[in-house]
Amino acid sequence: MAIKRSPGPPADQPDRWEAQLRKGALEMATLASLWRGRLYGLEIIRTLEAQSRLVLAEGTIYPILSRLKDEALLTSEWVEADAGHPRKYYSLTNEGRDRLRLMAAAWVDFSNGLDQLIQPILQPEEVLQ
Amino acid sequence: MNTATTSDQEQIEQFLTTLRASLGPIALPEREEILREIDAHIHDSMELTGQSAATVIAKLGSPQQLAADYRDGALVRAASYSFSPMLLLRATLRIATKTLSGFIVFLFALTGYLTGISFLITAFLKPFFPDRTGVFVLDHHLYRIGIQNTLPPVPIHEVAGFWFVPASLVIASATLVLTTVVIRHFLRLSTTVQQKLDGYHPTFRTSQPSSPSR
Repeated sequence: MAIKRSPGPPADQPDRWEAQLRKGALEMATLASLWRGRLYGLEIIRTLEAQSRLVLAEGTIYPILSRLKDEALLTSEWVEADAGHPRKYYSLTNEGRDRLRLMAAAWVDFSNGLDQLIQPILQPEEVLQ
Repeated sequence: MNTATTSDQEQIEQFLTTLRASLGPIALPEREEILREIDAHIHDSMELTGQSAATVIAKLGSPQQLAADYRDGALVRAASYSFSPMLLLRATLRIATKTLSGFIVFLFALTGYLTGISFLITAFLKPFFPDRTGVFVLDHHLYRIGIQNTLPPVPIHEVAGFWFVPASLVIASATLVLTTVVIRHFLRLSTTVQQKLDGYHPTFRTSQPSSPSR
């Protein structure tokens, strides 16, 4: 079986592919965690940990938040807390909400299609018979 | 913050110092805000979980990796709002190594800037070498624009005179402005493209309302 190389960047390593996939999904998941209201970084990480397995190093979430803010999908504000130091809260902008809706719809479309395609692969015994 | 011991505090300081150093090219206010946020994260996480600074820091990942994630794309983003030729060239050079269009834009940028600078230099040199600088014609045809090493042989002569100075200054500014505008436009475009390539783009089209699928 020949391994087909795409003309773009080398995508032949599965862990790299998974990292890319995770990265893409993490962005949507981060936006989604803010759907119900503002949260600060650690709360976002906790939410993602509780509801997905996306977070590897906790640090990865902060650069993503920074980028989403640059793209005007999020806003942030520093809020004084009982903890003795302020916390940086993030919330979705209207643009962020619109984008997230599109992303969620696209995600469902995409994964439904793929699920059907890969279903036989996840039951290798049946395939071999 | 109350739960942090001296040794905890030292480890936090060390992490933040390395992070600060690795954030390098990111603008100072942005850098300080990043450090403030990460500092708050470490203290909150320690209080919430009762874990030591070392554990909380380990879960953050390495400060170098964290800084690299922040820096990733920051150059291109910064350059797309800048007028600095150096910054613009550096950003296009980075993209040039990745895509063909990036490479073409890099060549365009280099050519544009060099042309602009050449006109500036000739405008500056005209007062010093009036006979050898300017627009040279031979039999009513353009022979050469610029500066000659030696005085050209007789039928070739310079026609612009001292008008050459304002004219080439105008051409130089126009070229430089045009080059800058085109590069910035491309960089903005490419940040959008990058975002799409990075993540959700392949799935994105299928969800357009106009999609005729199903």
